[in-house]
Amino acid sequence: MISKNRILFLWISLSVILILLFVFDVFLGSVNIPVKEVFRVIFTGEADRPEYLTIIYKFRIPKAITALFAGFALSVSGLQMQTIFRNPLAGPYVLGISAGASLGVAILVMGISSFTIVSQVGAIGNWMIVISAWLGSGLILFLILVVSLRVKDIMTILILGIMFGSATSAIVSILQYFSNESMLKAFIVWTMGSLGGVSLSQLNVLIPSVIIGLTITFLSIKMLNAMLVGENYAKSMGLNVRMSRFLIFFSTSLLAGSVTAFCGPIGFIGIAVPHIARIIFKTANHNTLLPGSMLVGGIVLLLSDIISQIPGKENTLPINSITALVGIPIVIWIIIKNEKLSRVS
Amino acid sequence: MKNPESILNIDNLEIGYSLKKEQKNILFKDINLSAKSGELIALIGKNGIGKSTLLRNIAGLQEPLAGRISFYNKLLRKYKRSEFARLVSFVSTEIVRVNNLKVFDLVALGRFPHTNWMGKLQTEDIVRSNDAIGMVGMKSYLNKNVDEISDGERQRVMIARTLAQDTKIIVLDEPTAFLDLPNKFEIVHLLNKLSKEENKTIIFSTHDLNTAIHEADKVWLMLDDKVIEGAPEDLILNDQFNELFKDSTLNFDKTKGDFRMKRAQREKIGLSGEGLHYNWTKKALERLDYKVLKDNQEITNIKIEFGNENCKWILNIENNEFVFKSIYDLSLYLKSQTKF
Repeated sequence: MISKNRILFLWISLSVILILLFVFDVFLGSVNIPVKEVFRVIFTGEADRPEYLTIIYKFRIPKAITALFAGFALSVSGLQMQTIFRNPLAGPYVLGISAGASLGVAILVMGISSFTIVSQVGAIGNWMIVISAWLGSGLILFLILVVSLRVKDIMTILILGIMFGSATSAIVSILQYFSNESMLKAFIVWTMGSLGGVSLSQLNVLIPSVIIGLTITFLSIKMLNAMLVGENYAKSMGLNVRMSRFLIFFSTSLLAGSVTAFCGPIGFIGIAVPHIARIIFKTANHNTLLPGSMLVGGIVLLLSDIISQIPGKENTLPINSITALVGIPIVIWIIIKNEKLSRVS
Repeated sequence: MKNPESILNIDNLEIGYSLKKEQKNILFKDINLSAKSGELIALIGKNGIGKSTLLRNIAGLQEPLAGRISFYNKLLRKYKRSEFARLVSFVSTEIVRVNNLKVFDLVALGRFPHTNWMGKLQTEDIVRSNDAIGMVGMKSYLNKNVDEISDGERQRVMIARTLAQDTKIIVLDEPTAFLDLPNKFEIVHLLNKLSKEENKTIIFSTHDLNTAIHEADKVWLMLDDKVIEGAPEDLILNDQFNELFKDSTLNFDKTKGDFRMKRAQREKIGLSGEGLHYNWTKKALERLDYKVLKDNQEITNIKIEFGNENCKWILNIENNEFVFKSIYDLSLYLKSQTKF
């Protein structure tokens, strides 16, 4: 049994690691700023060179905050998907929810020709982007839900999720084909969007959305725990299955949609992080697993961001590639460990 | 003397699935059953006749097509969700295999209708969950993972979860389906014990008549066209178990309370002896399709003689005597003599 002390030790060490990585992430970047200067900027608001102020306040701190919140949001949405589908391989990326968010944004950017105006409105434009991403991811989740009511086999649902994802990508391609140059450029920039591309005004949208999503998830802990044993049992214990499923899907769309709206599709965090949390905490109870996944998610995304900064170089690697390289070995490990996967239901 | 009130009444129930529009697929109709406090009830019937559907209806997981299910004279659908979850708990045939889910956590899930909206376990919830685990004899498994224990152990844990849920009525769909013989008996015996000691009304479906007859207070027997209820002994005396098997090659033995294949008994054979040896020799002869006549020494016959230590079987065929040391040797000889 994991003793209370060990659990406490885990919480403290994970939190310390998270804080250290966050600080480290602020120190790192394509422009080499001396450590002393970074401290000066943070604590006094002054610097030898004025551009240091701009870099730290406008780029590095927003980027680190984005990594933190994207890590929280993606891992928690992955955890919820795995519980509600009772499938270790579920996640926002695998089930096509991120692709759905892309579709929403693509329709907004390329389908509505006045995008250039949208982007100039600033705050309202950001909200429009995030709302279209929510709608897109919500649509895919809804489709998967409808299918999962009829099809009980979890592997089939996964494959259908992948199909939905491919279909939305195809629609996005068609939209791209019919778009003019400026819209296309706007969209491509969005798909390449990284943690660093999130502006302060976008953070004003991202952070509240993620906080609302996480709050709903924390309020659903009891429902999530009941869902672990399947909907029949959950219902027999008095759970309002329909309402809880709606709440959980709502918060998942909110979390995965918001992050995808501003950072582009980031894969494998949602699927891999909950498993790391399970390995660390050795429990399936969402009381522990939910905050645990959040912490680990923040750590993994900050770490991926740090790795993506090649020291001394001006370029950064795409964050999506790093998370894939970190996540895929874990996914492979899950598949090999769960050869009886299709029998989970 | 007045009979105790039924706590569950099923009147003119019609079960099945509603299809598109007005169509419905009726599995069974005119079901009239009842259950009293502290009864262990075995639901018996052929595969696909609607046992699971009936149980799902009783557990509130599925809507009846027509008719009434009421608990304490109040219609099932009049109960609030949380109120009903404190009255009836359910164990399905679904196998719960969740990575890293601890036995304690699974059992404590049963406290769901009793905890607040956060699901925080209070001292009482923890005590009750621990008691439940103790009642099914799984104390030493508290911190094991549910995906690492055997099927029989998992079934006990699922029963403990219903005990933690603290309901008057427990409904179980084939709780012994995947279990080996000792586990089948132990689980049903456990249910019997719980119904008596905790005064629970427990309804379970099963294919295993033997355990049902031994342990259940009442049997709900789903035949092709009707459902009947009664003590297992009543159903035996009224020849109703045999109806269950009228299309099969099985016969219910009223004296012994078990089943055997219907056999064409070709040849008569006499058997003299006593006690257990007589009974088992008779059983062996019947397996070889003989019709056994007690103490008949006119025809081919067998005498069981008890020596000082060993017992021997003396076969007399047309005044030739053959002596065997075991039933096996005897049956081998008889087989070799049989001409088809």
